[in-house]
Amino acid sequence: MTHYRYSIKILPGATVCEDCTLEGDITIGGGTVIHPRVTIIAEGGPIIIAEYCIIEEYSTIIHKKNEQPENPPKPLFIGAHNVFEVGCRLESLCGHIGESNVFECKSFVGTDVKIGSGCVIGAACSLTTPQTLPDNTVIWGSEHNNREALEKQPSQLLQLDFLGKVMPNYHRLRKSNVHKRQMSRQSQEPAKS
Amino acid sequence: MAYLTQPDYVKYACSCGQIKPITSLYFCRHCLQIRCGFCICHEVDSHYCANCLENMPSSEARLKKNRCSSCFDCPSCFHTLSTRATLAQPRQTPEQGSGDSKVENKQAKKMYYLSCFNCRWTSRDVGIPDQPVASGGWPERVNPNATRINQLLDYYKAIAQQEKQEKLDRERKKFAIRGKYITLTDKTGLTGAMARNIAGLPSSESTMSAIANFVPSEASADVEELSEDFYTKELNLNQMTSMPQRLAAPEWQPSSVSRLYPIAKLLSVKRSQRCRACDHNLTKPEYNPGSIKFKIELLAFYHVPEVKIISYEPIKPGCTSALLLKLTNPTGHEMQVRLLQPEEVPDTEDRLEEPKSLEKSLEKSLNLEKDNLWYETVQRKADVTATCRVVTPDVTLTLAQRDDAAEYDDDATHDANDIILWRKSNKLALRLQVSCGAEVGAASAAEAALALQYRYRNTVPAAHEPRDHTLHATLLLQLGHVSG
Repeated sequence: MTHYRYSIKILPGATVCEDCTLEGDITIGGGTVIHPRVTIIAEGGPIIIAEYCIIEEYSTIIHKKNEQPENPPKPLFIGAHNVFEVGCRLESLCGHIGESNVFECKSFVGTDVKIGSGCVIGAACSLTTPQTLPDNTVIWGSEHNNREALEKQPSQLLQLDFLGKVMPNYHRLRKSNVHKRQMSRQSQEPAKS
Repeated sequence: MAYLTQPDYVKYACSCGQIKPITSLYFCRHCLQIRCGFCICHEVDSHYCANCLENMPSSEARLKKNRCSSCFDCPSCFHTLSTRATLAQPRQTPEQGSGDSKVENKQAKKMYYLSCFNCRWTSRDVGIPDQPVASGGWPERVNPNATRINQLLDYYKAIAQQEKQEKLDRERKKFAIRGKYITLTDKTGLTGAMARNIAGLPSSESTMSAIANFVPSEASADVEELSEDFYTKELNLNQMTSMPQRLAAPEWQPSSVSRLYPIAKLLSVKRSQRCRACDHNLTKPEYNPGSIKFKIELLAFYHVPEVKIISYEPIKPGCTSALLLKLTNPTGHEMQVRLLQPEEVPDTEDRLEEPKSLEKSLEKSLNLEKDNLWYETVQRKADVTATCRVVTPDVTLTLAQRDDAAEYDDDATHDANDIILWRKSNKLALRLQVSCGAEVGAASAAEAALALQYRYRNTVPAAHEPRDHTLHATLLLQLGHVSG
């Protein structure tokens, strides 16, 4: 793990617990909270996680190796305000996950699933076949019912604020190692506090 | 033996012939019979909302169409909706209309909307404005057919009343012919319709007018033609409602998801159960909706010895295999148990007669008076023809009474022999043999029938001295499949 350590970029303002497995080229945006016991593996290419995501315990994000490796490998980009709830699993070859999505507990998103913005993958739902979820799709229940929400899921900013304050009291955190000034204005705040 | 998620391996025969796991059976202490949900009388005790636990008298429940006035179900997935609070944002004020200028002045005003945690449906999805109060105040929709339904209701009520009146008149005529005495009803005008006649109330006239003014609906051959859109527009299934969604709101039956409105939550009922043969209560719940306790709870689980399968050898055609059973005595009295073949159980009639002859004659006459016809048609012998038969040893086993403190004692009685495997407080493990017929085909379900004869100490009525009864229970054991 130490070998990869230098390829993990944690931007200022991100709360990343030490007790999680991060392998490969991973970039974690400011304001994002990563709980302990999270597994993020970038074996097929870099993973970029944007700002204000919540990644909860036991969730797994894997950028799978493609059978025909591309050079340079394409990144897996995860947009802002995504919530990965406890025990969810996201496997992807490459591509782009939109913003304000919710991956509920124990959900599974396989490779070749393209996810727009504002989608909700319900608890214990698993998407395995190649498909594209249009924006604001909600999938729920054992029957995998789906419907289209009118608006995006409300952001979890209050929860993020709370976690950002509480996490340092109870967990060892990884220090941010990128000191570049971000475009985002929020990234300055934790530095002051 | 009954599990929550697994199949029921041991089933008992009810006195009505149904075969059910012990957890869904009742035991009438007065008839000393096993009863089940099929052969007992269910009565509604009270109506309540399962979400807010509000109690409602039945008249009010009927008035509110058996729905709660403050709780809602999701029209999309039928889960209970929760109220969520937001701070009113300026972007919502135009939706409120110009009348709500106060909202704009106050900066942070809490507004509430309904949201489903399962499918994330919100009341905003269909444009229901947020409410300033947490509960209630949601716009009520008017049933488009309300007037017609009321008309029909009035009409049928009127017809029912008219028929009642006619019947009454006929009876009075008969009476008048038979004797010349003034009947009590004639003298006092006891019936409601007559009282109304005497008082000169217009009710009977209104019934006449309701019948006269009623317009029966007519079938029409003209059907509105489908609009072009149905042929040309691409169908977006996400915009269409499913059949369950439509049927959940029968008054409106919305076809598009934008017309899905919150469904007022249906009320639940608390039931008490009554034995049909002796009219005693089998279960009676506590009145408070928040309580899950019972005032009376005569479950078979508390009175009939419970049988569990510990293990068994694979059943082979024409062979005998070992079967380990565990017997448990749930009662507070010592119990003698004998294992019998189901054929050896005396007929239900005989068993009914036995306690009856002991009862006082008064009680017997009361029993006869009751309408037991329905019950007798229902009562039948359970069909327990099984592929295998348990070799029943001719011994009487004694089961100690249930003692909650017994687990702290360590004087385990060791009277193990050929049949008794071990004994522990009120439990007893048995080693038995199951013989399977040679003609039984492989892979067919292996079932073994067994009957228990047990001494049951009846403690009702409390004033009398407890009496011992010999009772029988027939049960069916599921022993997997016959292996070839």
